[in-house]
Amino acid sequence: MAASKDSLFRSVDMTLTQLYVANEIGREVVSALGELGAMQFRDLNPDTSAFQRTFTQEIRRLDNVERQLNYFRTQIEKNGIGMRPIYEFSNTLAAPTATEIDELADRSQSLELRIQSLNDSYETLKRRETELTEWRWVLREAGGFFDRARGQTEEIRQSIEEADDAPLLRDVEQANGSTEAGSGIQQSFSVMNIGFVAGVIPRERMGAFERILWRTLRGNLYMNQSEIPDPIIDPEKNEEVHKNVFVIFAHGKEIIAKIRKISESLGAEIYDVDENSELRRDQIHEVNSRLQDLSNVLGNTKRTLDAELTQIGRSLAAWLIVTKKEKSVYQTLNRFSYDPARKTLVAEAWCPTNSLGLVKSTLQDVNDRAGLSVPTIVNQIKTSKTPPTYNRTNKFTLGFQTIIDAYGTAKYTEVNPGLPTIVTFPFLFAVMFGDFGHGAIMALAALAMIYWEKPLQRGKQDELFGMAFYGRYIMLMMGVFSMYTGLIYCDAFSKELSLFPSMWTWEFPDGYEPGNGMTVTAQRVEGYTYPFGMDWRWHDTENDLLFSNSYKMKLSIIMGWAHMTYSLCLSYINARHFRSPIDIFGNFIPGMIFFQSIFGYLVFTIIYKWSIDWYAIGQQPPGLLNMLIYMFLQPGTVEEELYPGQGPVQVVLVLLAVVQVPILLFLKPFYLRWEHNKARAQGYRGIGETTTVSALDQDDDDEEGGQQANGRPSFADSEMDGGAMITQDIGGGGGGEEHEEFEFSEVMIHQVIHTIEFCLNCVSHTASYLRLWALSLAHQQLSIVLWTMTLGNAFGFTGALGVAAVFVFFVVWFFLTVAVLVVMEGTSAMLHSLRLHWVEAMSKHFVGEGVAFEPFSFKVLLEEEGEGLM
Amino acid sequence: MANGWSLLISVLFIVVFCAVAWFASPKGENQTVWRSTLVLSAWACWLMWAITFLAQWHPLISPQRADLRPEYVNGPVKSQGAVF
Repeated sequence: MAASKDSLFRSVDMTLTQLYVANEIGREVVSALGELGAMQFRDLNPDTSAFQRTFTQEIRRLDNVERQLNYFRTQIEKNGIGMRPIYEFSNTLAAPTATEIDELADRSQSLELRIQSLNDSYETLKRRETELTEWRWVLREAGGFFDRARGQTEEIRQSIEEADDAPLLRDVEQANGSTEAGSGIQQSFSVMNIGFVAGVIPRERMGAFERILWRTLRGNLYMNQSEIPDPIIDPEKNEEVHKNVFVIFAHGKEIIAKIRKISESLGAEIYDVDENSELRRDQIHEVNSRLQDLSNVLGNTKRTLDAELTQIGRSLAAWLIVTKKEKSVYQTLNRFSYDPARKTLVAEAWCPTNSLGLVKSTLQDVNDRAGLSVPTIVNQIKTSKTPPTYNRTNKFTLGFQTIIDAYGTAKYTEVNPGLPTIVTFPFLFAVMFGDFGHGAIMALAALAMIYWEKPLQRGKQDELFGMAFYGRYIMLMMGVFSMYTGLIYCDAFSKELSLFPSMWTWEFPDGYEPGNGMTVTAQRVEGYTYPFGMDWRWHDTENDLLFSNSYKMKLSIIMGWAHMTYSLCLSYINARHFRSPIDIFGNFIPGMIFFQSIFGYLVFTIIYKWSIDWYAIGQQPPGLLNMLIYMFLQPGTVEEELYPGQGPVQVVLVLLAVVQVPILLFLKPFYLRWEHNKARAQGYRGIGETTTVSALDQDDDDEEGGQQANGRPSFADSEMDGGAMITQDIGGGGGGEEHEEFEFSEVMIHQVIHTIEFCLNCVSHTASYLRLWALSLAHQQLSIVLWTMTLGNAFGFTGALGVAAVFVFFVVWFFLTVAVLVVMEGTSAMLHSLRLHWVEAMSKHFVGEGVAFEPFSFKVLLEEEGEGLM
Repeated sequence: MANGWSLLISVLFIVVFCAVAWFASPKGENQTVWRSTLVLSAWACWLMWAITFLAQWHPLISPQRADLRPEYVNGPVKSQGAVF
């Protein structure tokens, strides 16, 4: 097949190619093809599990490198160090050599160890620091307790003597005897046989701690606590914790041990405190100096860590990309089969026919660079497999193509509805959204997004903005067309635009006063019709809706008719392209006649009625709705005549439409059966019944005439031109998927469904286009209401109040205009336009059931996976 | 200014526009997109215009209003003096 020029009109021609690559340069070849992004490799080892494949080892190693790089990334993010964005690398797309990959693996291995040890020592130091800080607090606070407690020993002793029920010091008294108690202030606790425990505990556990101690020790304790004003940082979780210092005095070794256990189990830290104040002072000094040293060391460690991470951050993005690419190369290589006899790798790939030259030259380059004498061989193989569908898009067409692809992938080389959608989608949107002002806002927003395309693309986008940004070119078209339809509707923010002199003049009747119940009726300027769009004099009139409803309803019908006729014509082009004349005679022509004889006729009558000056010829204009209904209920009789000879014309049209139904029903199935029987009679058999030949075998066994054998001119079969055919049983589910047996009943049922659907849909889809009228009416009325409720009111005020009111109301009006009328109404109109395309238009011609082309491409891979890097 | 002939003239204008668009579309891989977009846009816009024109060609009803002040007979007039 001669390579034709690729365009968006249909998906590009694809060729199944077979590559023979020398084993040594397999990696380089795949890498180069990944940069090219033009080939979709088929899996030649579908039966092998992921672990049995050739390059599993390499992939595992790269997985490990990737894990290490991701560890660096989390460390960098944790420490708040900036990463050099991917855009600053000039050569991100250069393929890495094998040694570079090895270097990278070694390097990340050693770096990981280093970062880990730095992190460990940093964390240890940090923990030590926290401990020391806590200890300092305990020393400081406990000192106060000791001083106070010592002052109170006297009181305590006395209180024991007086009231015999003080639980804490009863034992003390008994043990020491009352004689020793008098030694006063200098008496130490140890002498009194009172032990103590000092430490810190998280503040929220304090209450539980106290309660538990009280219950287990039955009140035999004396507890002091104070809050640490500064929060303490928990080194493991990196969170701030508020803690309290506590000192518990109690009597007896066992009780002290118990207290220690309880405090430890509640997560308290216990520190040594000396009761001697001098020793305590020394301790504080020591702790302070140790803290000093520690913070020096900590600072050094942190700086080293940061420096190391910054160093890594400078090239981390590139490393990540290199690893991802390398991994995908090996994953692709795993799809190849290895021919041990010839030491070559064999690959099969779909490739756009027009890219074959590029592929070949790329492979040649790789070969030359490697200095290999064995060339890489590219074979084109003919196949009965349906090639994947691939539409080349650019940034303008991508959005529109996405609309179509969201509905379904087109069949290989069928007419791509994405091309007319570029115009019809925004235009039908604009019919519903028609307002010059709102359209201008939308177009400007889209233009801004296009102008700052690059910076916006790199920045973080939230979901809603991301969607608007993705569809920026759709938005631009929608905005521009909305401005046009706004001019046609003569609406700019619901106000009129008096571009041309009006075709109406006001003639005031005698005694007319505004609001006295009399109406002014406009007089037509003789022989003059408003040249562009709606006449602005209709604005604010009482019968404005009467006129615009009639106008917009007919507009919707005509637009719908035009859109559906256009779409139906695409099915003719499809039938021509797939060389299936029966689809023209059995589907397209009867369908077209059916549609036109009813709705084409309706459109004709609408236009005819418009073009007759009914008052000049002194006739009553007939109602078209009744005419259409009675055309079917009472064919032949016309009550209000639109034109002479209307009755017979309508009878002919109805008969024409009715006759199409059996043609639609029976022509195609019976033709197919006849064709099938004829082929059978000539001795042909289905291709599935022939022996299969593996594509791996070099002998291209020819089976001339084997194709078309089942006699079914299905679209895919007729696409194949003669020559050798290979039925492949490698990969996928064998080659026979599109050669199912001819089954008349199935074809018949399919056609019955198609006929019923088509005929009913002609009616319901035409009615569906009335949404154009409904939405444009709603949009217009909503913007009028918004104007009168906000800015319209503001003009009622005078003086300074007026200035303020206009300002405030303008802000309210503008905000609501953007939020409600442009964003909300715009979304709703867009969804309706989407539906009109997917259901009403595409049902007329779209075959679908294609398989999307998914080339092995680094660009696509990075777009999908490297989101964090972008 | 505008009468029944406008329809014919506008069709001629669109046909000429389409011919120009067809041949003047930039060559290259996007030629189809240019051609289809320009021609379809032209016809869609023309259709919209033509429908609107036809609807007003022989109107069956005339505008009516009861709140029109005689000084506004010529449409939104320029304000004289008072700003608000």
